[in-house]
Amino acid sequence: MITMAIPTGYLLPGALAVLRTAGLADLQVEDLGRRLVVDVNSQLRLITVRPQDVPVYVDHGSADLGIVGKDALWETERVHYELVDLAFGACRLVMAVPEKSPIGPLENWPPFLRAATKYTAASRRFFTSRAQDVELIKLYGSVELGPLTGLADCVVDLTATGNTLRANHLREVVEVGRSTARLIANQVSLRTSGPAVQELVSRMRTAAQTAPA
Amino acid sequence: MKATVKQDPAATGRPPGFVDLLPGQAGRRRDLEQTMLARFEAWGYRLIETPAVELLSTVETGMQPAALQRLFKMADTDGRMLAMVGERTVPVARAVAGQLRQAPLPLRLCYLGPTFEGHPAAGRARQGFQAGAELVGAAGPVADAEVVALAVDTLTRCGVTDFQVEVGHVGFFGGIMGRLEEDQRELVLDALAGRDLVELEAALAQTDLRAAEQELLLRFPALRGDASILEAAGSLVDNPESAAAIAELGEVHRLLEAHGAGGRVNLDLGAVRDFDYYSGVIFEVFAPGIGSPLAAGGRYDGLLERFGYPQPATGVVMFLERVQALASGVSLEPQQAPVLVGHRGDPADAIRAAAELRRDGIVAVVEAVAAEEAGLRARAIEQGSRRALLCGPDGRTEITP
Repeated sequence: MITMAIPTGYLLPGALAVLRTAGLADLQVEDLGRRLVVDVNSQLRLITVRPQDVPVYVDHGSADLGIVGKDALWETERVHYELVDLAFGACRLVMAVPEKSPIGPLENWPPFLRAATKYTAASRRFFTSRAQDVELIKLYGSVELGPLTGLADCVVDLTATGNTLRANHLREVVEVGRSTARLIANQVSLRTSGPAVQELVSRMRTAAQTAPA
Repeated sequence: MKATVKQDPAATGRPPGFVDLLPGQAGRRRDLEQTMLARFEAWGYRLIETPAVELLSTVETGMQPAALQRLFKMADTDGRMLAMVGERTVPVARAVAGQLRQAPLPLRLCYLGPTFEGHPAAGRARQGFQAGAELVGAAGPVADAEVVALAVDTLTRCGVTDFQVEVGHVGFFGGIMGRLEEDQRELVLDALAGRDLVELEAALAQTDLRAAEQELLLRFPALRGDASILEAAGSLVDNPESAAAIAELGEVHRLLEAHGAGGRVNLDLGAVRDFDYYSGVIFEVFAPGIGSPLAAGGRYDGLLERFGYPQPATGVVMFLERVQALASGVSLEPQQAPVLVGHRGDPADAIRAAAELRRDGIVAVVEAVAAEEAGLRARAIEQGSRRALLCGPDGRTEITP
């Protein structure tokens, strides 16, 4: 029996679509309801967990495979394998500033920045790569409020359409990263579960290449 | 006697990531350690003890930067930086290149002890326990096969029944990547180190590697199986380093069969780990249901040279917490509950009787407070003893609880 962790929230429909295309499980979001564990058949068990928890289940071996946004992987120290870009759930991590801010893509950065973000690890890597001194202010929601209230000079946040940024009078300065859903695997499962996991992975890979994003 | 004062969590707490091994667990751990050391010694590996603290400059010489960041560090009284050891191969290498430099080679050493990390990877404890064996001054497949077989033998003796060894060779990938430009190679190695095959595919697309070679890297971890995969892999590469790696793996596999360990072994040409540390045959031991390797090892010919003593070396490390979770039937801990030895008024009567019992190899505990038969029987039941002995001036009475 292979256990796969799939994320609740906005990636769930896409995850189920890939599983359907791959011929592994024919489930709709409504079918899951409040069930946390679904035995699809004698070979595959799905568990639905919060997106940030997917790598936790996989790294500990409680799930053999997982579907998770790349954005959730930025913040973890990985011991799993990232196998396939599933190509759905695309979004970007961007640095954005208030519309009136003088900060541009490459110029007019103050020597010291305060940045509000949920993505402290990815942000730190980005600012370090630009040798930019920064104080990262970790927020858990509504990061856009940071600059509006004077808490921070800029935000580093995910955007899919840019609507939230615009609605809060923020302007994108530079792209920090791109995220899509990924298939990840536990390092041991990949070896001890034999051909069953390999077969499942290759069907997911094929499905990701054929399915509409 | 039960405590009447309420437990104070602040007074009995521990730093996060550290655990106590309680009675039973601790005894089992001790038995596991003894079983492992006995096996290492049966293969001619001699015990070496290195300290829990090393100079930071020592561990920096040998360890990966990412692993270094996780260590506990502190300043010595003279200002030099120290680190708690996160693993013991580097300290052993330091000792070999130093005080053991004159020792005849090959040198077979084994070690056992706690390891520490201040900032461990998510979900890991900050203190671990590792046992390992190092074979220094021996190059080639005979030595490579020996440490793999030693790992298989040791785990088997520890009562681990369901496990497998994945044996690979860094030279196989190394040969393919030797053709890349420096910056391309860095991208590919970063992706491999991050276990990120999506990034790897993107990095490879920018290289001029042949499609067959890209496919080899990307099909990982599919490139595993018995000796037959070596032939298949050989037809896909055309560089001497990869070919040499394949030949070496073939010989290691043949020797592992002679060791009687062939049934445990899978060859895995996709096995890639820690490139700048390992230099040849590498392996990891996995068990179903345990999400991380039980043991890992391989050839690290470059390490001793960094300590000024160029010597080939290979070794294995075992992670005791994970092995203990699977080790059955190694407990040497006395299963026998102690005999409770009581007295009617003079503790000396009980002390003399208990000493006689212990001389005969019986576990005996002296009950400090005087008691009559009923009282001693009640204490024996409370303690789980199946036998009690009540001692007085006029003799000893056997009591069955």
